[in-house]
Amino acid sequence: MTQRVRSHKAEKVVERMGRKLNRQMVGSLAGCVHCGMCTESCHYVLANPDDPTYAPAYKADQIRKIFKRNFDWTGKVFPWWVHAQDIRTDQDLETLKDIVFGKCTNCRRCSLNCPMGVDFATLNRMARGLLVSVGVMPEGVAVVSKDQWEVGNQMGVLPQDYRETLEWLSDELEAEFKDPAARIPIDKMDAEVVYAINPREVKYDPRTISDAARIFYLANENWTMPSEGWDMTNFGLFSGDDELGAAVAQRVYDKVAELRGTRLVLSECGHGYRSTRCEGPNWSGKEIPFVIESSVLSMLRYIKEGRIRIDKSKNKDSYTFHDSCNNARSCGFFEEPRELLNLLVTDFREMVPNRAENFCCTGGGGAMSMSEYTPQRLKSAQIKADQLKATGVKMVVTSCHNCVDGLADVIRHYKLGMKVTQLVSLTANALVVPEKIVVPVKARIPEVSLPLQGFKILVVDDEPDILAFIATVLEDQGAAVIQAADGEQALALALQEKPDLITLDLSMPGKNGGYVFEEIRNNPEAASTKVCIITGKPELRRLIYERPVAPPEGYLDKPVDEKTLLSNIRMILELKHPHGNA
Amino acid sequence: MSETLRFLSDDLQLMALSFMAVVYVFRIRWLLKFKASAERQAPSGAAGTSPFKGIVYSWANIAMPWSMESTRRMIFFYLQFVVFHLAVAANIAMSFVIPYAPGLMRPMIVVRLLQALFAAACVIGCYRLYRRLSHPAIRLISTPDDYFSLALLTLWSFASIFAAPNRPDQGEGPLMVYFVMTAFFLVYVPFSKISHYLYYPFTRFYFGRTMGHRGVYPVKRVTQPKATRA
Repeated sequence: MTQRVRSHKAEKVVERMGRKLNRQMVGSLAGCVHCGMCTESCHYVLANPDDPTYAPAYKADQIRKIFKRNFDWTGKVFPWWVHAQDIRTDQDLETLKDIVFGKCTNCRRCSLNCPMGVDFATLNRMARGLLVSVGVMPEGVAVVSKDQWEVGNQMGVLPQDYRETLEWLSDELEAEFKDPAARIPIDKMDAEVVYAINPREVKYDPRTISDAARIFYLANENWTMPSEGWDMTNFGLFSGDDELGAAVAQRVYDKVAELRGTRLVLSECGHGYRSTRCEGPNWSGKEIPFVIESSVLSMLRYIKEGRIRIDKSKNKDSYTFHDSCNNARSCGFFEEPRELLNLLVTDFREMVPNRAENFCCTGGGGAMSMSEYTPQRLKSAQIKADQLKATGVKMVVTSCHNCVDGLADVIRHYKLGMKVTQLVSLTANALVVPEKIVVPVKARIPEVSLPLQGFKILVVDDEPDILAFIATVLEDQGAAVIQAADGEQALALALQEKPDLITLDLSMPGKNGGYVFEEIRNNPEAASTKVCIITGKPELRRLIYERPVAPPEGYLDKPVDEKTLLSNIRMILELKHPHGNA
Repeated sequence: MSETLRFLSDDLQLMALSFMAVVYVFRIRWLLKFKASAERQAPSGAAGTSPFKGIVYSWANIAMPWSMESTRRMIFFYLQFVVFHLAVAANIAMSFVIPYAPGLMRPMIVVRLLQALFAAACVIGCYRLYRRLSHPAIRLISTPDDYFSLALLTLWSFASIFAAPNRPDQGEGPLMVYFVMTAFFLVYVPFSKISHYLYYPFTRFYFGRTMGHRGVYPVKRVTQPKATRA
């Protein structure tokens, strides 16, 4: 009877749930006794003690009630007795979406703390997958999934951009070592190592690629990077879409097989490691004929075998290690990073709790791409902030790109004054370069005149990815960059730092960009500061130009690419010549 | 012993048990109808871990309160769990001992120990009901079945206190109440959350197998911050 009143999407969700259920899930759905032991293991609950809807058992119950109503006969016969309830309308699906995407990062901490062995995270992921299958998902999830399906990587990096980035990094490597062999090989056949990366590295942080390349080069490794199937991340893990998960993993496996690689080495990414190393074979249903390992293991092996030499005194700060949930709780990967870290730094302090009991960076499960949930995510990050603060260190090391962004966001929001780095960067920094390899890097630097050298730029954006991207691009061109994640911070920094230019996002929580812009223009001390609006909402442009103040000097629509950004910034700063000779 | 009490303590119990067993067979068949997913990836984690070790650790988890943060932090709650479940197990055992091996309960010390255990379970049950009603998150997730199951076990424990001496010569009332409640309990269990013990071996088996294969189980915990400074 209930089927007749369901919306088309709700009907599909229930139908697909029946196909998706496996014995593990059914056990988890039927076995919960509502004891509440999971409650205090969740960082959302701990940071929101007055909101019981964050309790893992409650969140799981939103899936469980559909299961009971449709697949468990107790719930079919006596629904009110066991709180079985059908899902009927599209609004019900939207409500479920806000729970499974917005109130859980699938970190699996509650699963590990359930006396019954109920795997909440698996249930949550299943629910995400069901919603995604009918098109109900946060916009960010849709965009990233689409890129991964259609372009082949989750950030929509085009093949040409990928190749150009590697070529540019190769040129730098070659110049650094003055060795024509010091390049990043692409599609080399029969290599010992095929190195797959996170597209974030190409787009926002290519330094980690060059760090890895330096390590491979100095270790004399027979390695290559693939021209396709190079994205080891997998949004299928976050979206719950097993088909996407299988397709993405298979793309990577196929390329390694085509290149006849011996070992697939994955750059430091928690969800990428879990997806490619652990879940991929399950999703694709195939055995993998080569070894898959994290680059952490490769680096550790190089040091142990004496293939690279390390001087740990080069990493002088105090460090702690943050375990990625996917690495530690789903892959048992927590000792090797520590072993490596102890070889790389002189002051390592454990975070408590740690390993499989560590708290999520709070940006996991794709949360960084779901901006609509950012306020609640950052509020819930109080637990992580306290945990980080208690270590008393300057640097947080993690083996996960997603955690880098998540932690950077937490550190910025809670003003912890720490920095986040990865093991590959620490390893590269501590490398002892043999004398036969000439490294005249410092001699070259003065010859290069960076176009934005001497300029101070304030970058304002509430999206950590965009903030990092713009800041990195400008820093790479020599600018001194200050970052602000919200309007209040932007106003304070604009007055305090007196930048030459402000890049300003419009849509931000709290004081929005329009308000900030008008305040700047109305303040005699800051009125002459050049402003470039960078917004993803062109419809807000009107609001800026209608204000009773001088218009901004520049305006850019998101997404903005590196070339457009730089040419516009240079134009605003009246730097017509590419090397800064205004 | 009256014929009524004999029927309640023997025939009725066997009928209830048979009914429970039949429903359980259906429940397990239903569960096994769902395909178990496989772990195809190469093992990960520490060298000493394995799916087998993971399964054993997972099954034994409940007896190792130090193994989970939740039981470590809520040790008083865990002790309640132990006492309550021991009382339920003893109660079920008593329903067999009274009709079939009454001699085992003749020593007064056994009776007193059982009574103490049932009384403790009764107190814990009352506290658990209070907690379920007063804690916002627990109240939110509690179903009528949760309340009823807990109330049933609490009342059953209470009735058991008076049945434990097993003295029909001093009045059959307490024993009759106890056996009627036991029979109802046996019939109701397969439809309620109390049947969680039926799923426990399965959920823990699969979770332990995965976590063992991936080197997460046994959980390694470093309790003290370890500082490495040169």
